[in-house]
Amino acid sequence: MENNIKIKVKGLKKSFGSLHVLKGIDAEITTGEVICVIGPSGSGKSTFLRCLNRLEEATEGEILVDGESITGKNSDIDKIRRHIGMVFQQFNLFPHYTVKENIMLAPVQLKIKTKEEAEKKAMELLQRVGLADKADAKPKELSGGQQQRVAIARALAMEPDIMLFDEPTSALDPEMVCEVLDVMKELAAEGMTMVVVTHEMGFAHDVADRVFFIDQGVIMEQGTPEEVMDHPQNERTQSFLSKVL
Amino acid sequence: MNLFQVFSEVYPTLLNGLGMTVQITVLSLLIAMVLGIFVCLMNISHNVVLRGIAKFYIWLIRGTPMLVQAFYFYFAMPQLIQSITGSQFRITVFTASLVTLTLNAGAYISEIFRGSIESVNKGQMEAARSLGLNYAKSMQKIILPQAVRICLPSLVNQFIITLKDSTILYAIGLSEIMYNAKIYVGRTMESFATYTWVAIFFLLIVTILSFISRAVERRINA
Repeated sequence: MENNIKIKVKGLKKSFGSLHVLKGIDAEITTGEVICVIGPSGSGKSTFLRCLNRLEEATEGEILVDGESITGKNSDIDKIRRHIGMVFQQFNLFPHYTVKENIMLAPVQLKIKTKEEAEKKAMELLQRVGLADKADAKPKELSGGQQQRVAIARALAMEPDIMLFDEPTSALDPEMVCEVLDVMKELAAEGMTMVVVTHEMGFAHDVADRVFFIDQGVIMEQGTPEEVMDHPQNERTQSFLSKVL
Repeated sequence: MNLFQVFSEVYPTLLNGLGMTVQITVLSLLIAMVLGIFVCLMNISHNVVLRGIAKFYIWLIRGTPMLVQAFYFYFAMPQLIQSITGSQFRITVFTASLVTLTLNAGAYISEIFRGSIESVNKGQMEAARSLGLNYAKSMQKIILPQAVRICLPSLVNQFIITLKDSTILYAIGLSEIMYNAKIYVGRTMESFATYTWVAIFFLLIVTILSFISRAVERRINA
């Protein structure tokens, strides 16, 4: 069992100046698990996610990925990030490159693939997210939903074994939410280890193996979607769910 | 007072001066761009010493008039060096002018670069780093190409300012267009016609520059 633990978070704290955003988080995520992180805005759920690939430096505590510390001073974060994909709320595609170039950039720059291999892989990924016909378009020519699917393809191009999603559908028009969630569902079904910060309660309920309810900088409640979302024990979870469901 | 009659007499010396004006402007801008990149990188680095040096340099240049700087490099510095080393030290007008104009433009250009880099969306750096690219690669492939597009209008504006500011160097005797004009006026008293032509020359060059920059901007944004 211990060998199956992909991400281990021990006593994670994060402060911005005098603002304590994370007040001690402990969590274990096993290989292939899909975790949905829910909670009110400002609760620290995005900060928690961003600590997992060190976009935010932990103030205290430790994070282990595959048993290796990523919070230590000596850890090579650039190398670790190669197998942790990240998808942002605002997509963050590179506007000066085409869709295909966005996807090819990292594997080619990091000399993991030749240009030809990277291009082949990019086309496969675009096929998979249903955007092969947009390979040569610039990001700004795409809709929000399409951009987010490209962003997922870009992260997958590094062949990560963990994918982090930071409110991937929050910036999308309602009719585009589905196309992005469908791609994510497929990924989950293929056994990708995923941590998803989301407000999509339906998605969390259907796809998550476990749900973390974060509020006031701690995991208030965690368990299967049935446990946390259908039969919440914590008063704050109940109050939150009654407002969003 | 006849504009065109004076032109036929004055244009060789004005064109001569203009040649010097363009030469010193282009040369100093080329060096200032390289200088500006380094100062900008120092300014945004996490190293306190590097940042301090960059900020001090910009503070010094921005806080003093260019005329004072020119006098400083041409008259004051040689005297200082002479009094320290004890041996005669001379700097040519051209070198002093080049140093003045370069250090001046370099400070402003570094600030233009910094502003442009900082105006690229923060998420771009995060996306690049998340893919495993290191800071330098992310800068080179993601941030700088976007910053270049953003800085272009301000950069051309700085080119124009430097071109016009180079006339100040007439005060230390650089034989640029204003210096030549002044000598001609001293000889002939034709101040109205001569300075009108000087102004027209500048207007022409600046108009052409603006025209080119708009064309380049259109192409880059396409």
